[in-house]
Amino acid sequence: MLLNQFLLLGAVLFCTGVYGVLARRNAVLVLMSIELILNAVNINLLAFGAMHGEAAAVASQVFALFVITVAAAEVGVGLAIVLLIYRNRTSVDLDQVDLMRG
Amino acid sequence: MDVLSGPVAGVFRAPDVDYHAFAPELVLVAVLVAVLVVDLVLEGRGRRLVGGLAGIGLLAAMVPVLTLAVDGANRSMVGGAYVVDDFALVFKGLFLIAGYVTMLLSSDYLADDDYYEGEYYFLLLSSVLGMMVMASSRDLISIFVALELLSIPAYMLAGWRKRDLKGNEATLKYYLLGVFATGVMLYGMSLIFGITGETVLTEIGSKLQGPGASLPLVSLGIVFVIVGFAFKISAVPFHSWAPDTYEGAPTPITAFLSVASKAGGFVALMQLVFIGFLGRDDVWQPMFWVLAALTMTVGNLIALRQTNIVRMLAYSSVAQAGYMLLPFAVAGDLAKGPGAAMGPMTTYLLIYAAMNLGAFALVLAVARKTRSGEIASYGGLFEYAPGLTVLMSIFVFALAGIPPLGGWYGKLVVFKTLLDANTPWAIVLGVIAAVNSVIALYYYASVAREMWMRPVPDGDTTPVRVPAGLTAALSLCAVATVVIGVYPQVVARFGDLAVFSLLP
Amino acid sequence: MVAQNIAFGVLAAATSLAAIRVVTTRNVVHAALYLVVVLASVGALYILLTAEFVAAVQILVYVGAIVVLLLFGVMLTKATLGEDDQLDNDQRWLGAVIALFLLGTLSFVLVDAFGDDKLPSLEGVSRATLEAQRGSGAVGDAIFSTFLVPFEVVSVLLLAALVGAIVLARRD
Repeated sequence: MLLNQFLLLGAVLFCTGVYGVLARRNAVLVLMSIELILNAVNINLLAFGAMHGEAAAVASQVFALFVITVAAAEVGVGLAIVLLIYRNRTSVDLDQVDLMRG
Repeated sequence: MDVLSGPVAGVFRAPDVDYHAFAPELVLVAVLVAVLVVDLVLEGRGRRLVGGLAGIGLLAAMVPVLTLAVDGANRSMVGGAYVVDDFALVFKGLFLIAGYVTMLLSSDYLADDDYYEGEYYFLLLSSVLGMMVMASSRDLISIFVALELLSIPAYMLAGWRKRDLKGNEATLKYYLLGVFATGVMLYGMSLIFGITGETVLTEIGSKLQGPGASLPLVSLGIVFVIVGFAFKISAVPFHSWAPDTYEGAPTPITAFLSVASKAGGFVALMQLVFIGFLGRDDVWQPMFWVLAALTMTVGNLIALRQTNIVRMLAYSSVAQAGYMLLPFAVAGDLAKGPGAAMGPMTTYLLIYAAMNLGAFALVLAVARKTRSGEIASYGGLFEYAPGLTVLMSIFVFALAGIPPLGGWYGKLVVFKTLLDANTPWAIVLGVIAAVNSVIALYYYASVAREMWMRPVPDGDTTPVRVPAGLTAALSLCAVATVVIGVYPQVVARFGDLAVFSLLP
Repeated sequence: MVAQNIAFGVLAAATSLAAIRVVTTRNVVHAALYLVVVLASVGALYILLTAEFVAAVQILVYVGAIVVLLLFGVMLTKATLGEDDQLDNDQRWLGAVIALFLLGTLSFVLVDAFGDDKLPSLEGVSRATLEAQRGSGAVGDAIFSTFLVPFEVVSVLLLAALVGAIVLARRD
């Protein structure tokens, strides 16, 4: 297998995630797009880990595990924030969350 | 496949832990667990106790920082991934003091309204712990994890005023942009890891000096990592969250974000750039040049037309980040090597911390009476609160860089770095920075004019009552600002210390 | 090798198509379900890369916990369950241009850097050796020795996220 087939798949996932973050209005959907970006990161890490020998393979797996753990914490916090906002204004539409300007 | 009886069973060696080196972090962990447990047991009856415990804990963590500083040895652990040197200790001290001042600002703010208090202190301590770890982290994984520990509690603290719509907006914007920036930064880190196969910064640094380091992929990885941190330090064009978050968050948290969180981002950037990416100054130097020029100019121009003091200070802190970025933009051209740029940056950060925390403490004190954040509400402050007026004048003129108040020395060392570099680009940047300093003087002075010259807007001249905690914070910041201005050697010494001993 | 390449092709196609649907579908629940497809296929790719433990964690934590959390988010915010035209903002085309530009740059740079580099073949390496070098045991040892500091930091992080999320999300 080529290294680049994994990396290019990672690039596709990353760019899809970036598009989602830019184009989506619903806060939960933006969170999902960010998960795509984090998965792209993990594919990159593990592919590079398989490339560089055993020390890098272990380091890349540990890195990927930390990314997954932190992603779980982030989503938990994000959901709490989304609920908080929904309770106050019954909407999670990001275009409406714009009281302050300038 | 039988994992348990596999060939790896039994070869695990427990790592040697240097407990002295970890002592500041360990004290902080003990205190934050104690805060959580005490708050749980007392069920909100011991509010003062919890706040006091958290404050004492931050001071207690200062003790091992000092003993480590006296000891003076560089302690490098787990293959160079975690280093306690003078650089780390200077910043650990800064984070602890900034955390303690935030604690002083918070206690009366929280008591005034029905906020969750124990959890607030717990999250604040967690964030400070993340910064402490950041100051010592010298590998990609530790930097990433420390960044998250300092950010995630901050996202939540920004929304602590739960029923306030602006508070909600503050936390949502900060969270979404912060998480997105982390994703971009991680993607960049994965590319750097891919080229070098290493996570420890010193190893990455030596690989990026060698062949293969000139690949466009390396440049792209460095750009992504720096963009990720540019969000953290609110550099233009990645600053859009900062004013809204600063305005909507509780004011003590705003002070904390604008000082400690920003310093955390700068610490990480210095470690990454000056250890890991040292060999590729052709990539990061122009990038920082553009970031610094944009950040100063845009921050100052928008600050000019703010009518709300918190938003004005928010844009002013964006602009201040621009001045702090200046040494990065010329680091590669310094005769003494890129590391010479770290001293000025550290000096500026330390001074900025004192004056900016002071300015926010004063905003808190005045808002206790006026209940307003409008600059117009500062009219005639001198008539009923002469002490506060003098202090606020000290802080705003220090931020503007007027001698003999702290800020001028920060500006001086930064400009001196630009002159040392002595390239056309450095001179152009110096001119931009000088023009910006003049623009900034205008809006800082307008606050002073409001306080000294204008009449009181509603004629209410009852004195402002400043509680003990705020008084302590105000005097601490004011004394620091004035002393640094008169005896800049104090802070210059710290700036010199904060240059990595392991730089080539 | 052929089997692995076929597996990669199928998984890569599933991942990219489902990922594109996640960011384009007009139905929030469908987006979450497409996300499951992405996450599960990515988990399978990890196995191709000899990272079984990460693959297991991917399924357990991502598919098992994170997607469920996201679905709770959809449910508790009473999102429209059918088609909803309000999910995208006006910057859609700008976003698409930026994403395509980024993809072009990344592809060019990646091909420039790694061209036809092959992943080292593990054929002929015994399972026991692989397990000792990069298996779950080796990863565990690394976490509790080399990466002990980040591990402890993450534990505080999870506690902080838990406490803070409860405070923010509870009704009071």
